[in-house]
Amino acid sequence: MIRLDHVSKVFPGSERPAVNDLSFEVPAGEIVVLVGPSGCGKTTTLKMINRLIEPTSGEIWIDGARSTTQEPPLLRRRIGYVIQQIGLFPHRTIAQNIATVPSLLGWDSEKTKERVTELIHLVGLEEDVADRYPSELSGGQQQRVGVARALAADPPVLLMDEPFGAVDPIVRARLQEELKVLQASLHKTIVFVTHDIDEAISLGDRVALLNVGGVLEQYAPPEELLRSPANDFVTEFLGSERGLRRLSLIAVDTTALEPGPVVEASSPSVAAMSAMSEHGTDWVAVVEHGRLLGWVWGASLANHQTVGEVQPRPFWATLESSSTLREALDAIVTSRTQVAVVVDGDRYLGMLTADQLNEALLS
Amino acid sequence: MILAQTTEPFIRWDWVWSHLGLFWSRTVEHLVLTGIALGVGFLISIGLSIVALRYRKSYTPITWVTGVFYSIPSLALFGILIPLTGLSVTTAEIGLVSYTLLIFIRNIVAGIDGVPQEVREAALGMGYTSTRMLWQIEIPIALPVIIAGVRIAAVTTVGLVTITAIIGLGGLGQLILDGLNRLFTTPLIVGTVLSAALALLIDYGLVLVERALTPWARSRAAL
Repeated sequence: MIRLDHVSKVFPGSERPAVNDLSFEVPAGEIVVLVGPSGCGKTTTLKMINRLIEPTSGEIWIDGARSTTQEPPLLRRRIGYVIQQIGLFPHRTIAQNIATVPSLLGWDSEKTKERVTELIHLVGLEEDVADRYPSELSGGQQQRVGVARALAADPPVLLMDEPFGAVDPIVRARLQEELKVLQASLHKTIVFVTHDIDEAISLGDRVALLNVGGVLEQYAPPEELLRSPANDFVTEFLGSERGLRRLSLIAVDTTALEPGPVVEASSPSVAAMSAMSEHGTDWVAVVEHGRLLGWVWGASLANHQTVGEVQPRPFWATLESSSTLREALDAIVTSRTQVAVVVDGDRYLGMLTADQLNEALLS
Repeated sequence: MILAQTTEPFIRWDWVWSHLGLFWSRTVEHLVLTGIALGVGFLISIGLSIVALRYRKSYTPITWVTGVFYSIPSLALFGILIPLTGLSVTTAEIGLVSYTLLIFIRNIVAGIDGVPQEVREAALGMGYTSTRMLWQIEIPIALPVIIAGVRIAAVTTVGLVTITAIIGLGGLGQLILDGLNRLFTTPLIVGTVLSAALALLIDYGLVLVERALTPWARSRAAL
């Protein structure tokens, strides 16, 4: 747990504070993202936690102890630190880079070596990178080494300063996903700085939105931030796609699915007709013992006794229950049937319509 | 002109073969004088560089003073020192060491200034003290630039050591001086050739040292 208590920072020679009376708490095991425009003091705030910058006033508590009770180098060895430019040591091999903090802490070489191998696997690198030098790795690989190095001594707290800012969007998205997977098993207390609101929403358990001069405008879980922005600044910073961004945070709720116009393949065509008129559609989904086969136009059933006589068309996109409502919306707007079909493997669970997404956002 | 009037052959090989022992001992003397100058000069330069890096304002006065040393003609410097320290190794080394300082300090400071800022931030952020960072991160990364300075200083010093012969400290300069005094070209040529060869050998040796100490820089060049 990290707690900032009325923390301010005024740099020498500057009249305006860089961080102004900032108080918030980072619960243990959560990712808190500091986000805001440039000049909002997010990086300054991060560096005050590991005392690379000393606050002008206020206190910072880490796991129940004031950060000032320990010498900065000792404090920092218990706090993982990842920066955008990575800062790998060019004269040391990847293994030696990862072993930085263990060697500062005086671990024996056997223990260090085991830990390095473990971390290389953990961050998804091949073991043969161990003896290479940083300049021989790609940007994405280097950033993975940066994360491994920060995790080496298993610190409870991790500070990440725009760690994925310098890699291309595809690699960034992958690194973000990997961080989520890592965090699901590691449960670190992470403070993450970014200027990218999408990254903040996607990674944060909570988001601290800062304004220029280090003023905290809102501190809330991303879903709450998007649902009820505290003021105009927040609304504006979140941008015009707030609704879409919220949809990306809400998972498909399988209990709220509609059965929709569905019939067994063995049913007579008349059953399909009544299902269609009940749901006001001109198509019907076809299942066989709970397995989704596809859908057929109502008109195409005219000369057939049973639904199964017509070859069903596959649904363009199907969703799993782990999908988000944003993916559901995508399925709805790109399909002829204007619904998102939710399946579990090949078992049909139900469908979502635009109306339901609308309700989910307004509830 | 004076040399051209002699009837001696340009180089007398029989004299060369009969004095190999002398050449060897002169070369060893030369190496010792060079080694002391480089070693002491490097240690002083490390100290002054650390001062310059810690207190940036001291860098200009430090380069100014060592620049003045560097610019004093060596003959004049020995002349000034002889009344103080006599015809001793100390006299020679004061001169030789002071010529290395500017080269060493400039390269050490430039090398450490060239360490990327993010490397420093990462090192401090992970719990390095600034002293430990200097020795384990900054100096190793600055090594290619520092060794480049050592190479220049070494070649310069090997040449300068020949001048210390005028205060009678031996070295290959003694052969050259002998040749000049006796109007005898053979020792003059031998001394010059050996001195130049020594400079080139030391320079090449330092290239090998650099390669051994900075394997990481080579792999970067290979990419």
